Amino acid sequence: MYFRLNPECYLIRGEMCGAIYDLIDEKVYALDQHEAKLLTSCEKNNAVQGDEKYLTELEMLRLGKFCQNKIYVQKLRAGSPIREIQSEPPSLYRAFLEINNICNRNCWFCGYNGVKRSLGCMGCNKWNENGKTLSAAKWKAIIDDLSDLECKDIFIIGGDLTLVWDKAINILNYANGKFRNIYMTLHQQSLSSNIVNDLTNKVKLIIQTESLNTLQYKDSSILMVMKPQNWIDSDNTESKNIKIDFAIKDTNSLSNDMPIMSKGKILPVDACQFIDNIEYHPCLGHSLAICYNGNVIPCPMMRNHTFGNVSNEQLHTVFENSWEKIDKIWKLNLDKIEKCTCCEFRYTCTDCRALEENLTGKITGKSLCSYNPKKGEWLQ
Amino acid sequence: MLEFETPAGNMYAWDDEVGLFIPFSLEMRAVINEIANKESFTKEKVVNSLKENFNEDDIAYCYDWIRKWKKIKPQNSQPQNPRTFHKSDIRNSVLRFGLLRLTLCITEDCNFRCKYCAYSNFYEYTRNPSNKYMNFATAKKAIDYYFSLLTEGKRYNPLRKPAIGFYGGEPLLNFELIKNIVDYIKSKYKNFKTVYTITTNGSLLDKETANWLMERRFIIDVSLDGPEEEHDKLRVYTNGNGTFREVMKNVSSIMGAGYKEIGCLPVFDWRSDLFKREEFFNKQDVPRVQGAFPVDDVEGCSYYQQFTQEDFLAFIEQFEGARNYYFANLDYQIRREKASFFDDLIGQAPKRALFRSISIYPHHPLMPFTGACIPGRKIFVDVDGFYHLCEKVNNDFPIGNVDEGLNFEKIYKLICEYNDAMDKCPECNVARRCGCCYKSFATDKGFLCSSNVCKEVESDMKRSFVDTFDIAEKYPEFVDEFNTKHKNTKKYYGE
Repeated sequence: MYFRLNPECYLIRGEMCGAIYDLIDEKVYALDQHEAKLLTSCEKNNAVQGDEKYLTELEMLRLGKFCQNKIYVQKLRAGSPIREIQSEPPSLYRAFLEINNICNRNCWFCGYNGVKRSLGCMGCNKWNENGKTLSAAKWKAIIDDLSDLECKDIFIIGGDLTLVWDKAINILNYANGKFRNIYMTLHQQSLSSNIVNDLTNKVKLIIQTESLNTLQYKDSSILMVMKPQNWIDSDNTESKNIKIDFAIKDTNSLSNDMPIMSKGKILPVDACQFIDNIEYHPCLGHSLAICYNGNVIPCPMMRNHTFGNVSNEQLHTVFENSWEKIDKIWKLNLDKIEKCTCCEFRYTCTDCRALEENLTGKITGKSLCSYNPKKGEWLQ
Repeated sequence: MLEFETPAGNMYAWDDEVGLFIPFSLEMRAVINEIANKESFTKEKVVNSLKENFNEDDIAYCYDWIRKWKKIKPQNSQPQNPRTFHKSDIRNSVLRFGLLRLTLCITEDCNFRCKYCAYSNFYEYTRNPSNKYMNFATAKKAIDYYFSLLTEGKRYNPLRKPAIGFYGGEPLLNFELIKNIVDYIKSKYKNFKTVYTITTNGSLLDKETANWLMERRFIIDVSLDGPEEEHDKLRVYTNGNGTFREVMKNVSSIMGAGYKEIGCLPVFDWRSDLFKREEFFNKQDVPRVQGAFPVDDVEGCSYYQQFTQEDFLAFIEQFEGARNYYFANLDYQIRREKASFFDDLIGQAPKRALFRSISIYPHHPLMPFTGACIPGRKIFVDVDGFYHLCEKVNNDFPIGNVDEGLNFEKIYKLICEYNDAMDKCPECNVARRCGCCYKSFATDKGFLCSSNVCKEVESDMKRSFVDTFDIAEKYPEFVDEFNTKHKNTKKYYGE
């Protein structure tokens, strides 16, 4: 008797344990050492020896099935892993457009103050950097470039955009209709009914705030910056369309049950995302940020990695000249990250490289995780 | 679903909607039929309806799993009618995804008269050899146009590199033109990293010529079929004499120089000795096999009429023997550094069958069926400066010329005509796996309907599925090894 997982179910092994990824129902089942070993043996087409009870449970969950003979199971995938892709265009999904670097506030969590944040990329920041801010005309040219490269989503960010509102609206109107989604980040204190009216039906608004009770608008979400010590487990933030942006001083200040440390980091994936995660970093993959001064970087929070500058050249030229560098960052999948490399959740976990690099000093370092894949233990 | 059963008695099915194989069973078939007839049937009703013939737990399992499998939503499952597109869509598509290679047919002349040549009398719809040679003015116009499109297309696809292919006839009969073209590109388009390829019969690859090509990092594809007796059976000079010795002398010299960018493209027919070829291509001084191909059996081809049923059966028997030999010595095949004849002919077959088709994602809406490209993906220029789909399609479908460029209106009409001819495809159970393209349907008067050409496609495909899964069941690690991109998903399986 043999037992095989179904085509939609992948067994991903860690050094000690394992996990079943169900790519249709988008669930991840954690396996202990014994279960992982047993299932590995089954997936290698060995006859079932003992513990049929556990495998029967998997059959009841419709994750796999007993069979009389050795069979070959082709796993669910998206696309083709071997199709010759000759010189395809780069797959650019997200671009951050930092169209401004001016702000009159001095928020404690600002990038200007060197604060490390878990979702700082989507927040408002200004930076202590040199360089002239690109003109609206230049941003329009960049938008054309992004559109021709078939970028899917853009994020319009940078300082306090209401201080350059005419420019921001000019750019937004130009971008309107060229992308699947346009996001714009504004500080809660900058919002007014006029501002919100200007944005209606054009953008998905991200409101940077420190308060859970911030007023929401149509197509808006809250980005709430918070110190780890203020986090309370009971906050039902996701259902209220609130994302928590943790400002982190060092890893010692974090408790193991926080969402950026715990099982909360694991977000089950579908077939397309899974296949992408096998090759690409879950966040940096297919992303770019264009700074106010034209620098092209992997993410708004990774200021030290520059691919080029669009002040005097076009975006496609940056791709042409720096593709190896871009591709290397995009393909920094979790197989290449310390600790994650031997973890069974490596293709379903989230990861902020900007923050990890900031905390560990290494592009492949890892500190924000309370799981020990070598022992298969979540630290309490 | 296209069902099939392996010699071990396991059932599978090809699900063309998703583009993947699934394990199958009689229960599964019964449940699918029940659900198909009465979509609203509950699990209890299906179990009740089938329990006389099948185990109730098995029926329940199949019901749940089929329901789950049907949750996979192939992206954009409603194909868009290509007629709703405009010629500007074609142009955009070419600028974004096309222009992968400019192939210049620099002469129709050839010093060989290979018996299976695509330009021989065996092929009704292709041209015959002639003494026409391309001139520099024509080549220059084609090159300037190609680079102008590449320059314009950079903003859509900045990663694409120019590739120039030299083709014939025998292209080295017009070696002076090759030199002039390369010099011209080097001086005028020096900012591009151009890749050069040449498809040659190898007879004119003397030391001086070979050195010139090697210095410029040409990818050299040589039409070398096998050992002397095999090669000379089909590849002969115009006077009928064998060509092997000259070709091999030249190829050995290149191999001796340690040059790596050289490969062979052997062609075989039903009277070829596959084992002799395998032995030959395993030798150190013979280049790797880039691809092994049977003589092309396209519309209008009468080559195979010379063979008897006995020839065919003997070939099948030989092929089976080759397959058994290959897999019986799998450890040796895997360890070998250089790709041999059997590696491509036999070893690669399961890889293509299991991993090459595209799952979930749809075909390009402009070209919803078959494996045909959007014309302009590659550009083939004949000696007179007319643009064609590629070197494998006859010259009755020109898509422009060097003076006027690509004619996107013509390409659009050609796509519409082609799609109209693909009448069987919407109902085909193996449409996602289709390897046919223009050349499979082209005559001198347009395209034949797929319902005429593809009569046996499902049964042929079924036979290949059985062979593939027979191998996959016996050697799962071997076939999965091909999937190098997903190798890490099996990390720690061995520990």
